[in-house]
Amino acid sequence: MAAHKPVWNDWCPGCGNFGIINAEAQAITELGLDPKKVVIVSGIGCSAKVPHYIRVPVSGVHSLHGRAIPVATGIKLANPELTVIVNGGDGDLLGIGAGHFVAAGRRNISIVVIMHDNGVYGLTKGQASPTLRRGEKPKSLARPNIHDAVNPIALAISSGYTFVARGYAYDVKHLKELMKAAIKHKGLSFIDVLQPCPTYNDINTKEWYDKRIYKLDTLPDWDPVVRKPEEANEKMMKAIEKSLEWGDRIPIGIFYVNETSPSYEERINSISPAYLENPPAKQIIEKEGKLTTIIEPFLKEREVS
Amino acid sequence: MRISWVIGGAQGTGIDTAANIFGNAIAAAGYYVFGNREYNSNIKGRHSYFSLTISDKRVRSITESIDILVSYDADTIFEHFQNVKGTLIYNPTVVNTKVDAVQPMWPETVERVKEFLSSKGYEPTVKGVLDYLKSKNVELIPVNYDEVAKKVADQLKIPLSVAERVKNIAGIAVSFRILGLDANYLIEATNKVFKQDLYKKMNAAAVKEAYELASAKYNLKPLPNKKRYWLDGNTAAAIGKIYGGLRFQSYYPITPAADESMYMEAHMDVLMEDPITGDKKKGSVVVVQAEDELAAINMAIGAALTGVRAATATSGPGFSLMVEGMAFAGMIEAPVVITYYIRAGPSTGMATRTAQSDVIYSIFAGHGEFPKLVIASGDHAEVFKDSIWALNLAEKYQTLVIHLVEKTLANSYSTVPEEELELDKLRAERGKIVEKVGEDYVRFKITEDGISPRAFLGQVAIQYTSDEHNEEGHISEDPVNRTLMYEKRMKKLETADKEIPEEERVKIYGEKDSKYLVITWGSPTGALRDILEESNLEFTLLQIRMFSPFPKNLVSKLMEGRERIITVEGNYLGQTALLLRMYTGKSVDSEILKWNGRPILKDELENALIKVMKEGEKRVVLNGGA
Repeated sequence: MAAHKPVWNDWCPGCGNFGIINAEAQAITELGLDPKKVVIVSGIGCSAKVPHYIRVPVSGVHSLHGRAIPVATGIKLANPELTVIVNGGDGDLLGIGAGHFVAAGRRNISIVVIMHDNGVYGLTKGQASPTLRRGEKPKSLARPNIHDAVNPIALAISSGYTFVARGYAYDVKHLKELMKAAIKHKGLSFIDVLQPCPTYNDINTKEWYDKRIYKLDTLPDWDPVVRKPEEANEKMMKAIEKSLEWGDRIPIGIFYVNETSPSYEERINSISPAYLENPPAKQIIEKEGKLTTIIEPFLKEREVS
Repeated sequence: MRISWVIGGAQGTGIDTAANIFGNAIAAAGYYVFGNREYNSNIKGRHSYFSLTISDKRVRSITESIDILVSYDADTIFEHFQNVKGTLIYNPTVVNTKVDAVQPMWPETVERVKEFLSSKGYEPTVKGVLDYLKSKNVELIPVNYDEVAKKVADQLKIPLSVAERVKNIAGIAVSFRILGLDANYLIEATNKVFKQDLYKKMNAAAVKEAYELASAKYNLKPLPNKKRYWLDGNTAAAIGKIYGGLRFQSYYPITPAADESMYMEAHMDVLMEDPITGDKKKGSVVVVQAEDELAAINMAIGAALTGVRAATATSGPGFSLMVEGMAFAGMIEAPVVITYYIRAGPSTGMATRTAQSDVIYSIFAGHGEFPKLVIASGDHAEVFKDSIWALNLAEKYQTLVIHLVEKTLANSYSTVPEEELELDKLRAERGKIVEKVGEDYVRFKITEDGISPRAFLGQVAIQYTSDEHNEEGHISEDPVNRTLMYEKRMKKLETADKEIPEEERVKIYGEKDSKYLVITWGSPTGALRDILEESNLEFTLLQIRMFSPFPKNLVSKLMEGRERIITVEGNYLGQTALLLRMYTGKSVDSEILKWNGRPILKDELENALIKVMKEGEKRVVLNGGA
């Protein structure tokens, strides 16, 4: 297992990240993925340390604050046979990286975006994140939060994500199954993982969540899967409506799945047909220093005659 | 022989197409051309113009002085008449137009033109201009474009609204006639652009009509047609990158960089041939229009980690957003290329105008210290070759390479002789790549030269982090590790400095030991080479082609024993002079500078050199161009 040696984990005791990293490792293992074909890309923050701490020997790119999605996009498009998973915090993905979060939806690229959603910026000592609700004042804030919260599920659906789910860091088994489904999904997946921050968020604690969380698949008529393109609007509306439920009851599980929309890889292949068969990472661009690309036709177009 | 031809008109009225047809026709007759496009940041209505130099040998610059000006509107006449020395082709229906009435002109230009005409005693109208030009013995050729269109309509029995399309062709045909070349060159060049039968007939009829309106003045004879390519900077870079094996480009639309990526989008499908077996295989160049430049640079970095040659192309404002990603590439040792099309800043500045103001910025952009290679091309053939060089350097030294190309090189064209592309010499160098990864593989192994063997994502588990890290790529803030890792990264710049011969980082033209040493980089090289070839001025011309690592020993040596050292560059601070002092400890004696957004023109530069050489002037500021 060559370079991969997980290092000592410096998250706070009781951090929700432990549940997330365990679910992720189990999902990768249970799916039987070749670890060297898996790349975890993270941004900056507590969540971003996942690639350093995960025990399966996958690759990791611990990138820049907010930029995990573009880095992951470059990796996936250059080598579509890789499984690419993004781990980011709520500030990382919906604050500094919000533009990339939305733009990724427009592409429906086959990567998985896992959001560690704890309502605070942990590594900078507990400032309000984009998912903290207005009026709330966790102990780390001097005054109550005066920003409204983003609805991550509704934002993902309206941006074009085609697998949208919510998990809970303390239900590892359930979260692991969501991750497996997200990895297998063709197109862009998003999992909003509710995660207590025991150090800075004394409102959304484990006890607080445990009382409220229920599973969508326990609802008798819940069916989030789009089977024909014409069902998409109705299922989107239902999922967005469900995403507004917050308070005494908080749903987790799959909100929306649509495999009828072509993935970005398929879209590229539709405009450049050799793409999937011979993607950038497989192309032999030189041999013994000799450049292999035939440019005569390009030059011919420019020849003076 | 050198003829300066300019065509001007309102943006969006086909001036560019007309100029390209004209240039192609001239080139087809065996002549060399160099053409520069000037336009406002606007889609329709404002003044745009195209300056073309026609020569019987390779030419690399344009001049302020105009031999033939083709105009359709009053705006063009007012903008350029002071530089017309030979012939003005004008539309007689605009003679009574007042300067004040030309709304697309910038108010400052209007005032300046009025002041000039009144100081010479002429009325502020096109008629006033014509009278002034008559006094200067400029030949005036009226061409009533409406009448030409009407004649074509009558002749072919088509509606006038359709025939009106021939107006641009009529203008260039009159000037083609003045050159004395056979009309067939022009008709063939036109037919290549307008392929429908009706248009072919219309254009042929218009050329015939136009030929009646002027007589030959230059009597150019066709020259032997050598194999040449009609290349602009954006296209040269795109073809160079694709040939160099680039397979991933991400970009955000920005002037004047976007045309490079758009060319790639149109040429995504590529064919590769195994040089040994001859087997051919299809592939794709993935081009992604990103949501912003932050994404563009980070996508390219991601792609590079999979072993794919990856790049982005941008200009000043976009480059500023990429700075964050640049430091990331430096930290994780990702080979990535930024083709940096410099335009006139600061901020939005003049988005469609040229500058050389970002050379210091490009060398030092990014927080923290990390190795970065910066190269700069001086003509279209160099843009092509340097695009491949940049990809090689990025992989060899596993870091960021910035390739500087100014707006004027991006948007100008020249007829590049095939041999200048040196296709047989171009090679790929990928540096230390691990074919088989062992159990003990670590990505950031400390080595003597600072370069660690590189494996790709997908081959083996690899750890990257933007944090300081150890050999395995895990975070470490240990002070001794920090010192070693920092040194390892920076050592790559020293290795590059040792390995890349300084002779390859500069070009020297003219007499080697002249008492005058003229130092420049980028596009002014073209004007200076033309001056060396066409004038009596003698000097050693030193073109700097790599700014980081800087060829300090060679440049320092070349600066010794000169009577006068002169820098020529398109910025205010004299950035090259500052860098020379920093890297060599030596000072320059005179600076020729320009920052008005227009390229350095051959004739204004020649005059400035005379001032500097003969009169010892220390600083000359150029202001040519409309």
